[in-house]
Formats: sequence, C-alpha cells, structure tokens
Amino acid sequence: MTERADAIVVGLGASGGIIAHQLAAAGLRVLALDKGPMHSDDEFRFKHDEIRYYSRGSLVPQLSTDPVTWRPDEGTPSRLLPWATGVLGNSEPLHLPPSVGPGGGTLHWGGASWRHRDSDFRMRSLIVERFGADALPGDSTMVDWPLRYRDLEPYYDRAEWELGVSGQAGNVGGEMHPGGNPFEESRRRGYPMPPLRRAAADDRFRAACERLGFHPFQQPAAIASTDYKSLSACQYCGFCHGYLCHVNAKQSSRITSVRAALDTGNLRLVPSARVFKVSRGGASGRVTGVSYFRPDGTVEEAHADLVILACYALENARLLLTSGINRNGEVGRHFMTHSFGWCTAVLPEYSNPFMAPLVAASVVDDLNAELVPDNDEGVLWGSVITSIPGDLQPIEAAHNLPPGQPRWGREFKAWFARNYRRLFGIHNQIPSFPSRRYYCDLDPDVRDKFGQPALRITHGWAGHDVTALRYFQNIKRRICEEMGAVEFWTERLPPPYHLSTHEVGTHRMGEDPGTSVVDLYGQSHECEGLYVVGGGQFPTLSGYNPTQTIQALAYLSADHILKG
Amino acid sequence: MWKFFRPEEAAAVEAMSARIIPSDPGSPGAREAGAVRYIDEALAEASPDLGRLYRDGAAHLDELSHSRCGRVFADLGPAEQDVLLASLDQAPDGEVRDAAGGEQAGILGRLFAVVWEHTIQGVFGDPMYGGNQDCVGWKLIGFPGAQWGYDAGQMRPGFDAATIPVQTLGQLRQRSSAAGDGGPGAGPRGGA
Repeated sequence: MTERADAIVVGLGASGGIIAHQLAAAGLRVLALDKGPMHSDDEFRFKHDEIRYYSRGSLVPQLSTDPVTWRPDEGTPSRLLPWATGVLGNSEPLHLPPSVGPGGGTLHWGGASWRHRDSDFRMRSLIVERFGADALPGDSTMVDWPLRYRDLEPYYDRAEWELGVSGQAGNVGGEMHPGGNPFEESRRRGYPMPPLRRAAADDRFRAACERLGFHPFQQPAAIASTDYKSLSACQYCGFCHGYLCHVNAKQSSRITSVRAALDTGNLRLVPSARVFKVSRGGASGRVTGVSYFRPDGTVEEAHADLVILACYALENARLLLTSGINRNGEVGRHFMTHSFGWCTAVLPEYSNPFMAPLVAASVVDDLNAELVPDNDEGVLWGSVITSIPGDLQPIEAAHNLPPGQPRWGREFKAWFARNYRRLFGIHNQIPSFPSRRYYCDLDPDVRDKFGQPALRITHGWAGHDVTALRYFQNIKRRICEEMGAVEFWTERLPPPYHLSTHEVGTHRMGEDPGTSVVDLYGQSHECEGLYVVGGGQFPTLSGYNPTQTIQALAYLSADHILKG
Repeated sequence: MWKFFRPEEAAAVEAMSARIIPSDPGSPGAREAGAVRYIDEALAEASPDLGRLYRDGAAHLDELSHSRCGRVFADLGPAEQDVLLASLDQAPDGEVRDAAGGEQAGILGRLFAVVWEHTIQGVFGDPMYGGNQDCVGWKLIGFPGAQWGYDAGQMRPGFDAATIPVQTLGQLRQRSSAAGDGGPGAGPRGGA
C-alpha cells in the first residue's frame, strides 16, 4: 500500500511531536510514524510497578529487538551493549536508547528542563581563548554552534509556556530574582508554574552547599506544580524517571503535542511502524518518502515531498546511513554523551528517597561550563552538580551498594533494612568532547530481525572525562561530608556505560555543507526536502540535560518549514 | 503447585533465595516473601528463556552439594549453604572464584547471578507477581509501596514513612475504582 501526505514525521518524541503538531495545526496533512506502540492513559494510571518498568524495561527498546553494539576503539570487536545486557536476558533501561512509542524519550524522562548558557554555544572559542589551542587534544572535532543564546531565547520561552515548565527564574530581562539561578542568562519572563515541592533531603543538600560558598537553586522541571494546560499537578508518587505519569503531570509530547496534533484532524499516526529507509528520486535526489516495516514484516511505502527524521540521535544516524545519505562522511561522527559520576550517600535521618520526582531538587551551577575556576587538574569545562533526593525504588537501590558491602546474606539484609530510607544521591553531567575517535556507523555483522544493520558505537572515555569526573568527585565528597553523610560512595570512574540517554552530535548542524550534515534549521545539506532534527544536531554537549534545547530547535525548524 | 519447577528444583532455589535474604526471628526474609513463587511465575510467563539455566543449574547445585557434603543443597545447614554459595558468587564481570571448575562452574555462577536478581525482585517487587507476600519486603525496608502520592507533611526530612499504611498496586487500583475516578485527588485531564 502506498500513502501520500504533505509531510512525514518519523518519531514522535521531544522534537517530532512538536513539529507534527505545528505542521498539522498549519493545515498540512501529516503522516507520523513511530516504531513503538501508542500508550493510553489507562495503561499507566497504575504504573507504580518497578518490575514492569525497571526490571523488565517495558518502555525502552530492548537489545533483543533493537540491537546496538559498542566497542571502545577500532581495534576491539563490537558487541551488544555490555553494560545494558542484564543476566536475566532483558536490558537495563537507564543506559539504553530512550523509550519508544508516541512521546518517545519524553515518556520515560526525568523532566529536567534547561536552557543552555550562552557559553554552551561557544565552547570551543571559550576553551581556546582561556586555555590556548593546545588545551584540546589533537583528535578534537569541537566547533562552536551556528547560533547563540539570543537566537534560541524566543524558542526556549515558547517551549516553557506552550509545553509547561515549573521553576523559579533567576534573571528576567537583566533583573536578578532571589531563589533563581544567579548565573542564569537573561530571559524575557519567568516560568509559567512555580517550582515543585522539593524532596526531603534536598534541604540538607542546600544548606551544605551554602556553607561551602555555592549558590544552590531549584532546577526547572518539565513537571506541573499546578494544573497547567494539558498537565495536572504532580502528586509526588516517586515513580517518575523511567515511568509514565499517572496524572499527566510530567510533560510528554504524547500529551502536550501528539494529542493536540490529532485534534486538528490533520495528523494520521501509525504506531509500531519501523521506518528503515528514506526514499529519494529525480535528478536532484530530493526526498520522496520513506519505507517502513509493520510488526509482521510487511513493507509499506509512504510518499511526501517533506520528510522529517525526528528519532533519537542514534536512530537518525542509522536511518541516514542505511539510506545512503552521507556524501561527506559526516553522519554518525562526533558522538557525545554524559558521564554522571553517580555519588550515593547514607544520611543520618530518614530521607525517604521513594517520594517525589527526580527533579524536585536543587542544582549548583557555580562550577558549570566556563564558570569552572582555574584549576591544576586540567578541567576545561565544568558541569552542574545535581541533588537527587527522590524517585528511588527498592529494586534499583539494591543494585547500588557501597563497594565492599556484602550483597547477600544477613549483612546485606541489615544494611538495606537500615539504609534504604536514608539514601541520597548527587550527580554531575560531564559533557564528553567530540573527537575523530568517537563515532557511530553500521555494524557489519549484527542485524535486527528485519535484516536491518545495527548501529555500532565506537567510544571510550577520554582523558578530560576522567579528569573532570575526579575533580567533581572531590567536590561531591565535600558536599556529602558537609551534609553529615554517614557513608558515601561513587560509581566506577570512568563508568562502565557509554549511553546516558543524552547522546548527541551524530548529524551535526553547521553552515558549511562540507563539514556538517544539516543546517541550523535541521535541513539536510545533501537531500532536498529532508530535515533531520533532535540532539543529533548539537555541535557540542552542554552540562545541562538536552531536551529543552531539542524542543527549542524543533520550534525553530517548524517555523522555517512553514515559512517555506 | 508449581507452574515451572519440579519440587526438588523449587526446594534448591528457595534455599538459595533464603540465604540471599535470610529469615530472622520477627524479621521475615525471602522464604516468607515467597521469592521462589515469584521466580516460578517469572519462568512460566515473563522469562521462559531462563528455564533451562534453572533446570540444569539446580541439578548441578545438588550434585555439587552432594559431592561436597553428602546431601542436596536444600538439606544443608545455613552455614554450609553460605560456604557453597560464596564459592559461586562472582563479581559481576569476574570469574567464578572457586567452585567445581569448568562448565559446571559457569552454569552455577550464572545461576547464582540470576537467582540474586530474581530474589531481589521477588522480595521487593509488587506482590501481584507472586513474591513479596504480605509486603514483607517493603515493610522490612520502610517502603510504603504503590502510593498515589505524598503530601507536604510526609515529605518533611526525617518523616517516619512506616506510619503510612503499605499498599500494593492491586489495593491502589481497588481504592481508586471505589472512589469512582482515576484515583485519589486529580486524575488525568482530557481523554484518550
């Protein structure tokens, strides 16, 4: 069967949902294809189920159906992501590509909703100015963004007010506001909702940080603190990151955008439609549509003169590669991700970490990005320091014990019975730097059940990652001590995983068609009518979570498409 | 009685789980939680691929136990069981440290790793999957289970959450349908 539409949107996550909605609202007939199932409200009104969503990872693409392989370097054979391959045969959900189905990554996400700093758009220039050109390694492919904060500010504002973000502004039009981020870039107005109630242990984190001279503030959250548009106020149930929301408090493109797009009558949505190829035609090789598999393996074709690939950064790259759209060899290069340096503490009093969303918490920005002070260790670019006081269920907690702590027997039982309700976490987001050595391509040996090649990631943690992780580990240790923690430990440095659900850079945007894949609107340099949008566009990764920047870029792309 | 296990397999697996989270006077463990019941249901429904490992692994474990101590694993005393299990427990990415060597060691190492995961799930997961009977796992660690939400008073530092009645997902569902709407407080707005 062949179907024709004005526009085809592939993937309905953070970017695809917005673009599908904007185009449908403007009167275009939009066909949306998502490889996951359509979730209903009924399905997750009772989502308080750690076995289903954590242990069995029912929202995320499993490696058995959506294989992804990894190798640390070109000399080592690749294999299915070893850190996500559990002994039970299903995949650990927190270090895989994000959830699938309309909503995409915004189904499972924690809801951290950040604007970049202006400096995040100029990482290369600022590092070179401050530390010299030799500070970056010879294999670095770091570039500045083709836009600045002021270019995206209207789109950040639009994302916050159209989709719903709660928080306390720090800098409105140059006027500083108490309680907000003292380092914030100027914004035209505050947030549409006040901040969430913070989880219990966050008070202790804040007080400790203030005594150490830092300036903690509440992080902005894409979770409703009050009823707002299609969102309802958060109930603080604690099954948040990795779960769907039972009251639709967590902003998800499924409810903020997909539902609105369907309401226009101009969107036809096909779930469980696995796109495998972008079709081209004519002398110019312009886009003509896509081909996709139904779950039973039947191949369908759909035609449109406008195709928007809005999948995850990894899947977008895979689709470009399987479609042969990679004339300059740039697709899949510049892979970047976050390392977290997870730090866990046992506090002297009950912290009840099973309450509240992950992001009902404070952040310290004093050492983020270019704000990191001159240091002997060699840290070129800093990170947020984020308090994680909530959203921790017992099975996940049992997988994170201090080194040397017996994990079974009487001692384990006593430790867990005493300490589960006293746990608290702190993490960073160290942005990895783009390098010639770290990239994605098609695995020559591994295919999915439809015969399509798996994506292969080549990535190792670089010197700067380790340096920054160690630097921030010391700071987290000081914070834990100041908090009166009776025990604290960090994950292995560098960590075993190479996916953080914050992968970016794989179809970099830029003005030069020779060195980038898309322009700043997400439009392919190579294939007319094709847009490739999302985190894959990022020239560099910030210390912040990427989603709100992905949303802002999606509004920018939609405007550009509609202005034609 | 069992959906997957043969009785002797169930006995061996239950004995393993009972050493992972042991029972104490006044403090139930994996045995009272019914972790083995959870595992049986998981093997019958969610994870049939692991059936072979359990079947072969339980047989190997009893052989090893017999050759070392003259009895099957379930009939050993707790101290003997602990010594044997410690020889199977491997670092997540490491080699079996002791044990019987060769292929049997590989199977037993994998069996222990799988039983560990399944025991944690069967003690701390929702009772609807067959384990965590009477929510003994949740009561042990002070987790109130499936709650629609928490209020500002409950979210104060130091609040004793043991004062919140523990609730299963089934109970939350029942209470919500009795309340006649999506749940206590606000339900999702809009349709679909």
